[in-house]
Amino acid sequence: MASEPQATPTGPATAPSVRQPTAQWARGPAVPVASVVFALAIGAIFVLLSGHDPIAAYIDLFRGAFGSPYDITETLIQTIPLVLAGLAVAVAFRTGLFNIGAESQLLIGAVAAGAVGARFADLPGFVLFPMVLAAGIGAGAGWAAIAGYLKAARGVNEVITTIMQNYIVVFVMHWLLQNGPMTAPNALGTPASAPIGAGAVLPIIIPNELVPLTRLHAGIFLAIAAVVVFWFLLWRTPLGYELRAVGLGARAAAQAGIDPRTRIVIAMAIAGGFAGLAGMIQVTGVFHRVFDGFSSGYGFDAIAVALLGKNSPIGIALAALLFGAFARGGSIMQANAGVSAQLVSVIEAVVLFVIAAELIVRVLTARRRERKPLEAIA
Amino acid sequence: MTIDQLIGAGVLAATLRLATPILLAALGGVVSERAGVVNIALEGCMLVGAFFGVVAADQSHSVVVALVAAMAVGAGLAAIHAVAAIHLRSDQIVSGMALNILALGLTSYLDYQFYGTTGTPSDLAGVPDIEIAPLAAVPFVGDVIAHQNAIVWAGLALVVLIQVFLFRTVPGLRLRAVGEHPRAAETVGIAVRQTRYWAVIASGMLAALGGAYLSLSVAHSFTDGMTGGRGFIGLAAMIFGRWTPVGALVASLIFGYGTALSFSLQGASIGDVRVPVQLLSTLPYVLTILAVAGFVGRSRPPAADGIPYETEGHA
Amino acid sequence: MIGARPERARTTGATAVGTERVPLLEMRGIRKRFGDLQALDGVDLVVNEGEIHALVGENGAGKTTLMNVLYGLYHPDSGTIRYRERDVRITGPRDAIALGIGMIHQHFMLVPPLTVAENVVLGDERGGPVLDDRAIEERVRGLEERFAIAVEPGARVEDIPLGLQQRVEILKVLYRGSELLIFDEPTAVLTPQEVDELFAIVRTLREEGKTLILITHKLREVMAVTDRITVLRGGRNAGELVTKQTTPAEIARAMVGREMKQLKARATPPRTEVILDVRGLEALSDRGSPALRGIDFEIRSGEILGIAGVGGNGQSELAQCLLGLRKVAAGTIRIGGIDISRDDPKRTRARGVAYVPEDRRIEGLVLAFTVADDFILGKQDRPPYAANGIVLDPAAILKAGGRLAVEYDVRPPNPRAIVANLSGGNQQKVVLGRELSERPKLIVVSQPTRGLDIAATEYVHERLLEQRGQGAAILLVSSELDEIRALSDRIAVMFEGRIVAVLDAASATEERLGLLMAGHTEAAA
Repeated sequence: MASEPQATPTGPATAPSVRQPTAQWARGPAVPVASVVFALAIGAIFVLLSGHDPIAAYIDLFRGAFGSPYDITETLIQTIPLVLAGLAVAVAFRTGLFNIGAESQLLIGAVAAGAVGARFADLPGFVLFPMVLAAGIGAGAGWAAIAGYLKAARGVNEVITTIMQNYIVVFVMHWLLQNGPMTAPNALGTPASAPIGAGAVLPIIIPNELVPLTRLHAGIFLAIAAVVVFWFLLWRTPLGYELRAVGLGARAAAQAGIDPRTRIVIAMAIAGGFAGLAGMIQVTGVFHRVFDGFSSGYGFDAIAVALLGKNSPIGIALAALLFGAFARGGSIMQANAGVSAQLVSVIEAVVLFVIAAELIVRVLTARRRERKPLEAIA
Repeated sequence: MTIDQLIGAGVLAATLRLATPILLAALGGVVSERAGVVNIALEGCMLVGAFFGVVAADQSHSVVVALVAAMAVGAGLAAIHAVAAIHLRSDQIVSGMALNILALGLTSYLDYQFYGTTGTPSDLAGVPDIEIAPLAAVPFVGDVIAHQNAIVWAGLALVVLIQVFLFRTVPGLRLRAVGEHPRAAETVGIAVRQTRYWAVIASGMLAALGGAYLSLSVAHSFTDGMTGGRGFIGLAAMIFGRWTPVGALVASLIFGYGTALSFSLQGASIGDVRVPVQLLSTLPYVLTILAVAGFVGRSRPPAADGIPYETEGHA
Repeated sequence: MIGARPERARTTGATAVGTERVPLLEMRGIRKRFGDLQALDGVDLVVNEGEIHALVGENGAGKTTLMNVLYGLYHPDSGTIRYRERDVRITGPRDAIALGIGMIHQHFMLVPPLTVAENVVLGDERGGPVLDDRAIEERVRGLEERFAIAVEPGARVEDIPLGLQQRVEILKVLYRGSELLIFDEPTAVLTPQEVDELFAIVRTLREEGKTLILITHKLREVMAVTDRITVLRGGRNAGELVTKQTTPAEIARAMVGREMKQLKARATPPRTEVILDVRGLEALSDRGSPALRGIDFEIRSGEILGIAGVGGNGQSELAQCLLGLRKVAAGTIRIGGIDISRDDPKRTRARGVAYVPEDRRIEGLVLAFTVADDFILGKQDRPPYAANGIVLDPAAILKAGGRLAVEYDVRPPNPRAIVANLSGGNQQKVVLGRELSERPKLIVVSQPTRGLDIAATEYVHERLLEQRGQGAAILLVSSELDEIRALSDRIAVMFEGRIVAVLDAASATEERLGLLMAGHTEAAA
């Protein structure tokens, strides 16, 4: 499930103004569920128009994702980076920031993890793994903090910065892997780095006897831990309270002594940390090295994940599972039913589109109800 | 590394070629954002333009039909964004992003359904180059501009047209007013929403033309995701060019030159060090961040850019 | 959308100026509701041709709403509009403009990067699709000469001062041939000199046969230039008066509808201990121009210092400096002898500064938060809300929220209620509960009762006096002179970034304050 880099608008480049969609738009799961159902219906029309049976295609899609224990573990492998990248988008959203850069934060986390993992390959696991973990999280955090800093200090719209950063990382990776310091002489068919040390590799958590050939790795525990951390941070710590206050009312927060500028930088760094962790897990759990075309657009799908999951921990986990299932099931559907796996991109786009229209209408109508009378009679 | 690799006629001709799709997307961005709508779906508009241009060329064997079809589909995709941004007051980033994903999914899906794994037909009607015979013999200049594609020239003409339209005509004045202060525009009777619709649709057509250039002038085929983010470089060029057509042209040429260099310097080295040509490709993005941050000039968008406009009193 | 665009009924020359009682405009029974708020409840307005008609009332009386209905920006729920003795339907500004109605908006409807001339002709450019700058500048110059309004047509609007921008607004309306001109609070942003110039223009316009509606709550202006007066109160008519036959007191009574309740305010005199001591304070405005030009004053324990002044003379900047929200360019701010002029809001608050900001919805509260969450804003990292400063304690937050909601009479007293859903008065109580509950030394209060109903206003006043009684120093910024006079021990008048006088409340008559606010320092002395 690939997608394209997104975006660039530009608010007035002055004080760090933050956007509104962090409001508690819809209550309950009605809107997300409805948007998925609607999107599936639109997708069915496309399948029908191209001369296939939509019911059969969706059955194949479902079987591909959940048809066997092995399929389920493959779906979970797709889900893990989506959860983490989704958290990266959501932390920013909660602070009133639109992080389009989860993709590049993930990639740079992967590069850092891959570089450290390969450079110190001989170290024992209990030394190497923490180093790789720190490298992945730190690189993502630092990279994202640049966007936060530019917003806080120079008023640069973070949407522009993070989009541009996405492309910068792609080309830097080309260089690193094609003829730069990370290029490995005899790697895969595509430009790639040397493999990381065995000590940094995440173990497979299900015995081969139970689910033959499964690749499901311990990264799933890191992902679950990250969801808990996300919840605890935002709703059980003063910092999380401050981030939410900035996201929902930056000026009120500022006069109360919560400086939005520092919180913006911190929020972006945390977001980048989550995304960097996603990249690090893909390296240590799945590929064991970095290569060109390393991410299939997880950072972009993450935006849909965060919005569909309403920036809540459980919602993000469920939305990531849904898109993980699409990613896994789509390829099976293409093989079995002859329906292009790209169908799931169409479905994802419709989901996003419906949510975009719906939630903003809600936010706006709520806001109008609130604000109009005062303005009107002033 | 030689001088020829840096500023040879080949490099400059390539600069023009490479700048053209960026320029067309950037012009689309200028028109749309000057009216106050952020259209990041330009990338998607390019992609559908590239794909449906190929489909129409395949069906009709006519370049004109192909270009019209490409621009019509680009206009259609942009119209969806317009409805979302203007009528539904969606978040313009999310909406544009959804349409980019849709465009990528849809074109890849249809590409697979229409042409399977064999790829698009090889006998597509292509957009012709314009040969300027008198110039062809002129050294250097001839090599740079005597054999450029028709759409390259069209792009340059559009720069002039749109510059004049925006800053020297009444509809252009109104469009800028709508993008800067829609309430003020409305209070003097300008139809804000209508203006924005036309601007967004025009931006989709411009971007789609850029996409059709890629598939019908350059590649003579369609491959999935072939626009490769040029719509976004276009937006970068728009920002770097300070939301003016002429500025966008300059920015597109700079960005195009960076890419042309990265081709021409492939494998080149300074002393023993190989030139990291891939890093040249980061130029547009780095420059754009610096420009927006005010380190390189100051780039300020129209005041109402990206803000949905809500007519008063229709509560 | 253009409804039936009515022909402009041409009046014969004889009916123009001076002729008796030709009703140019009759609005009858206009109603308009926003959500729960009945902004207009059957309002009538009759304006005669060739007069200057004042539409007065307090904030929230419905003046601007009524004019927005007339201009087609709001659609009334019911009611009729007759213009030049014809029933008309005005569905948008185009209709209003076509009828000959023009509006000079309080917040100027100008496009800053465009030139004066471009702004004037925008939407009605004439002369084909090509934009001929020279031709439109000539046309605008002609207009300026006819109405004796001077402003350079080629200048960019963003480069000229507010007083001139207002002239551009007036030119816009005249350019469209408007016969009826609505001025919405035209003096709010003007300096006294600019006000005089504006009134000269207004009189010229009347001599040229225009009819004017002046929305204002400043009685001095009403008495100075208008012919007749319609008073609104709470969305209803509260009186029709002829200016020559009335007095400011009569208008004020109609506006307020009652005498201000006498506050048992200054039972105890201020104590001697100086809490706040400000010396030589200077600061810049958002635009980078000097906003405070050397401010000196002090406030004692148990004293309320009122800051009077026309909006935009540095009051907001002063409040922001005291809290640490705005950078202090020069001077000192001492709280109990300690200089806080370099501190950020977190530090100033730690020194005992509390703040009730001007715009509670933007600055005072996080509207999407619950009542309990908004109560702890700024205290989220302290016990009991955060044990060890690391982990929030939701139970403690909820408990404190419930207690404060009861103590400060928030209705409903539900700590889980979303603040956005509360009424304005209850929202302000949440702010008060947060700011006043920890025995602040200095309370900076800005427009504390703006938009509130009478009961809520009185509640706020009582709470502030209670704090005074407990020994707090209070700086009260308000555009309501009555409020300032009722609450303050002393009143400082700000004009152009300076404190031009400090008066004892007893000697601060409305007239004296008014003169000082207008910059007439000698006359008031």
